[in-house]
Amino acid sequence: MYSARPHERPTAFDRMLIPVQRWIWSDADRRVQKLLRFSETETDGGRDILRAAEVTSDPLLRRLYLEHAIDEFRHGVLFRHRAAALLKVSPCRSNSGFQGDWLTPGGHGLDDLQVDGESDSDMLAFLHLSEKAAASRFTVYRDVMQHDPPTRAVFEEILHDETFHMNYTLTQLARVEPKRHRRHLWRARLSRLWKVYLRLATGLSGILGSMLLTIQYFVLLPPFAWLAKRAARRELSGWTIVSPGGSESLDRQY
Amino acid sequence: MNILGISAHYHDSAAALVVDSVPVCAVQEERLSRHKGDPAFPLLAIESCLQHAGIEPNELDAVVFYERPMLKFDRILTCALRAFPQSWRAFPKAMKNSLGEKVWMRGIISSHLGVPGRKVLFTEHHQSHAAAAFLTAPTCRAAIMTADAVGEWATLSVGDGERLANGPTTIRRFREIRFPHSLGMLYSTFTAYLGFKVNEDEYKVMGLAAYGQPTLVEQVRKLIRRTPDGAFALDLNYFEFHTTAERCYSSRFIELFGPSRNPYEPIDLDTAEGQRFADCAASVQRVLEDTLVQLARALHEETGLPDLCLGGGVALNGVANARILAESGFERVFVPPAPGDAGCAIGAALYCDRICFGNPDRDLPDHPFWGPSVDGSELARLAREDGHFVEDCYDDALIDQIADDLAADRIVGWMEGALEFGPRALGHRSILAAPHTTEMRDRLNREIKYREPFRPFAPVVPIEVAARYFDIPPGGTRLARFMSGVFPVRREWRSRLQAITHVDGTARVQVLEPAMAPRLHALLEAYGQRTGIPVLLNTSFNLAGEPIVNRAVEGYSTFLRCRIDVLVAGETRVLKRTSAMTKTPVNTLKKEVA
Repeated sequence: MYSARPHERPTAFDRMLIPVQRWIWSDADRRVQKLLRFSETETDGGRDILRAAEVTSDPLLRRLYLEHAIDEFRHGVLFRHRAAALLKVSPCRSNSGFQGDWLTPGGHGLDDLQVDGESDSDMLAFLHLSEKAAASRFTVYRDVMQHDPPTRAVFEEILHDETFHMNYTLTQLARVEPKRHRRHLWRARLSRLWKVYLRLATGLSGILGSMLLTIQYFVLLPPFAWLAKRAARRELSGWTIVSPGGSESLDRQY
Repeated sequence: MNILGISAHYHDSAAALVVDSVPVCAVQEERLSRHKGDPAFPLLAIESCLQHAGIEPNELDAVVFYERPMLKFDRILTCALRAFPQSWRAFPKAMKNSLGEKVWMRGIISSHLGVPGRKVLFTEHHQSHAAAAFLTAPTCRAAIMTADAVGEWATLSVGDGERLANGPTTIRRFREIRFPHSLGMLYSTFTAYLGFKVNEDEYKVMGLAAYGQPTLVEQVRKLIRRTPDGAFALDLNYFEFHTTAERCYSSRFIELFGPSRNPYEPIDLDTAEGQRFADCAASVQRVLEDTLVQLARALHEETGLPDLCLGGGVALNGVANARILAESGFERVFVPPAPGDAGCAIGAALYCDRICFGNPDRDLPDHPFWGPSVDGSELARLAREDGHFVEDCYDDALIDQIADDLAADRIVGWMEGALEFGPRALGHRSILAAPHTTEMRDRLNREIKYREPFRPFAPVVPIEVAARYFDIPPGGTRLARFMSGVFPVRREWRSRLQAITHVDGTARVQVLEPAMAPRLHALLEAYGQRTGIPVLLNTSFNLAGEPIVNRAVEGYSTFLRCRIDVLVAGETRVLKRTSAMTKTPVNTLKKEVA
């Protein structure tokens, strides 16, 4: 099944999701949406890494981060171009329902990063794990994309870069923190888990909030809506006179 | 008296600090956070302003937020009710968006800064725009017109202002047009329809308009009708921005104008489809201009004043501004360097100072450079570490060297002094290049800015010779001070100014007074001595999708990622050595590990 080299072997979790991924990527609409989202994620990731290059005081890291950022920007372009090519062949019908993105984001999608506040070692540990996770997922995506060779080729090319990113971040972490680099990796793993939890919790609370508000919308709002519509019908279009002194008090929020 | 102005939570948040009635610092959050159009609460910008003035938050006499959050919430809720039941998808999103943070501004500001709630004040959105336009303009009495997408309820307002030297200030708003009837939303709807980003890419529509013919004006006029009292109203059957969050325009709009553009497809102006999009842009641009000119003309007749101050995001439309100057009857039109929401931070602070606290009027510095300063030594250190050629030289020698670079068709990243406040690079964070050939324009588009070929580049010219190259009407130099007007390039110079002459023969020129940016002025003169034409191409120092650079390190990283040949910060000049990057261990390392 796997043509991957050892370092590209997907994690057990990613392997478990292969049937889901196969289903997700089999649909052209979903493929386009996911490629576009990956394009945004890679570009955003590129900006974060560029920022890391700007804030680090280590000249070697600055150069490596810059190379890395340029790669990420290029990945963004590759994904976008591929999505545009797919769109040309079969224009998107609509925003397809289930994307599965909260489960399997690409690139650095799981993590919000405050680059300015991170130390070099934390940044390297974070990047190493992100790249490793991305490489694992991209290997799966490449392998389920046998029916679409050009998209497969895009993943293949990106995987090559991810391998470099994965390795240089580990090498540099060992250089920057020779004695404590394993501790940093573990801390980064825990931080990623915490962020996964936050993401899921935020998503769940968002769904619950939307449900409650939608119920309120249909149960409580109709009489107010009727009043608002009646008021709107009476409203004249054109100029509204601003009453002098009406808004001079700066204490009010109304 | 120390007053902090804040604009946030819609797009392009900013902070501005007014000390003893004069602004001392103003900066957009995006320039510090490095997220383009950053709408977040501007903590970094606030910190930068306070640090610049050397004051602590407890020394602030007032913190002014640029709009009234509850009034805005009133509008959002009312619109959701009016659109019932179509608004059922938008309602939860709107409520979560508003109730999460936006309506609690007093508490949020108070907790972030540690100032008591009574010190937190609120202006109205269009009051802030009006104050930013009028109180920063060198005029004592003027009519004021503000127009944007939407504030709380108002989308456009007219009024006047008066200030006496060392005396009181008044700003009156006579009347306003209310949401959903909005010129800004009309333009933004076409921005979305043409596949561009709303609130960000409106200037692309303006650039594209020059390639089209206004053949669809009658169709656009179906969308916006004039009311008997001289205002306007949108036909809401063609729009959806007031009912949903998903789309700005309705199916009827599509029936009228045809299918919208796929944002991922480039516009090919050689095809009928590409030309249709250009015609759409030209038509909405024409209708916008006509409407603004009529409103301004009526305001001129009403006030009889010679000066007009324009504010709000719509005032970024340089083509419309030039027509207002030419056709409304006003002799001078003032547009601040940041007429959009970011500028509201400065407007809110000044409004509070002059109107709320009644402080006497003071003349304000007439420039856009209110941000952090660049440090040339930082650039020198970074470039030396990476093995690039670094030169530190004093003013005249540096100016001569850069003029030689430009004359040799090198592209220069130019950073000096304090960062501009507002969306335009006005000579402190600019990419400069020779303006003579289309090859240079294409090179900039292809190798540096990575942007659509239909977008024009702007020129900068010394005020003394501006009229020789550009057809600038009386009063036009003021509009061109902050690149707020588009004027024709004189026919006889177009062939020698190809890189900055748009397809319709115009340019969004910056007319530079020596006092505003003396080094850039000197550079223009030095360049003129070498080439006979003291005009340079001046585009913002950033790459596509990124905010304008602020610190030397950001300029440096931009310099390394594109084909800028020379980088200048303060008195440091860096020349890119292509071999420098190969000296680094990056490539070796990459080969080893890949």
